[in-house]
Amino acid sequence: MSPPAAPRRTRQFLALLRKDLRLELRTRDTIVSMLLFAAVLMMIFQFGIGSRTADLETPDGLPAQVDSITPFTGGILWATIALTAVLAVGRAWVPEREQRVLDAMLVAPVPRGVLLGAKAASLYAYLVAVEVVVLPLVFLFFVRGAGAGSLAAVALTCLVANLCIAILGSLISGLALFARARDVLLPVLFLPSLLPVVIAAGGATHAAVQGTIDLAEYRGYSLFLGAYALIFGLVAYATYDHVFDD
Amino acid sequence: MSAGGRLVSGRGLVRRFGERAALAGVDVDLAAGERLVVLGPNGAGKSTLLRMVATLLRPDAGTLEVCGHRVPDRAARARGRIGLLGHEPMVYRDLTALQNLEFFASLHGVAGDGDRPMTALDEVGLLARAHDPVRTFSRGMAQRLGLARVLLADPDLLLLDEPHAGLDAQGARLLDAALARGRAGRGVILVTHEVERGLALADRVMVLRAGRPALDEPVGDRDPAAFRARYDELVR
Repeated sequence: MSPPAAPRRTRQFLALLRKDLRLELRTRDTIVSMLLFAAVLMMIFQFGIGSRTADLETPDGLPAQVDSITPFTGGILWATIALTAVLAVGRAWVPEREQRVLDAMLVAPVPRGVLLGAKAASLYAYLVAVEVVVLPLVFLFFVRGAGAGSLAAVALTCLVANLCIAILGSLISGLALFARARDVLLPVLFLPSLLPVVIAAGGATHAAVQGTIDLAEYRGYSLFLGAYALIFGLVAYATYDHVFDD
Repeated sequence: MSAGGRLVSGRGLVRRFGERAALAGVDVDLAAGERLVVLGPNGAGKSTLLRMVATLLRPDAGTLEVCGHRVPDRAARARGRIGLLGHEPMVYRDLTALQNLEFFASLHGVAGDGDRPMTALDEVGLLARAHDPVRTFSRGMAQRLGLARVLLADPDLLLLDEPHAGLDAQGARLLDAALARGRAGRGVILVTHEVERGLALADRVMVLRAGRPALDEPVGDRDPAAFRARYDELVR
């Protein structure tokens, strides 16, 4: 009896990704709830911060001349995306868990890295889908005096920051999968690990929306995001295989 | 496969969940082509043993070889030669029957997977429902699809955990018929509460009680009624 030829990892990865996207297209469970949640969060920020800008003071104690909440855009956008990502990460393995498919997948000759890599790719796709809607809304409601170049720069920041969120999200969702208190554990583990991403992506966004793009600041934050994605990519590569160990 | 043509060889298998030992020193062997039924009351350790052989649980103590590979160290090499079917079909309810089988064919690297899923659906009598979502299936149809998922990759070792649970008489008969058509050389371990059905499908019977084997012997021509009485005595 000879062992079967190792199935190509690319084919397995694409099958897993296609399955996740197909399920999402059919049920729309994750993206719709992410979009609704993001819209609610932005509304809260708009009312919470927008009405407070008039209270800001200069270091001399004089009223600041703030006529928009553009300076807060980075924080608003990335707090919204980080909190919205918790929903996607929390739902990442719901079909497998609820429909008991996980055991069948774990018995298949699929490297754990491929399982989690495909999950990271589907998380990335969900984040992009949400940002396609959220980003124009953020520019419409929160940003004044920035052009298409700023929008493109923030979109680029999203593409890099999403990598960090997706890699971290897949790793932590896998780790929390068998935990009894996973609904509590997941945000408690995920959000603090995301803090550097929120700070850097918020900084890059801030640099991009201030009328003219502050290239030095933007580049610095973007490089940090790239390095963070690379480091966590390597951490994930080294640990993915052990995530599903009982 | 290991020397001696054994698909499964386990010695002194122990698995604890907290303070409780679900398995407390079990030896298990399965030769190629052999069918073993594992019986026992709830909590006897049947499913734990099956999940261990499926490489889903690590033994806390003891040694285990599956399809000639040490588990858990070389479990990845054994996977893909194992088919696992539980009381759930382990398929996605929101995908169609065909999409489910295409997905698992890709995971298993099934050669020529273009035709194979349709052939597998035909084998379990679901060809006409190939493009219907699984959530529209009856319990029996979904379980037959689960069987098609398992047989798709032509596993050397078939692990079945209460596969008849929740099936009506016709569904159970169809499942038994599909199992009976298994290819030569394939080993089967069936975990069940149903003594008579288990004996009818197996060559060898193991009875577990409180994580320990109370009986392990060939089925032979034994009388199911007499065995039932003995089984009741063993697990009392």
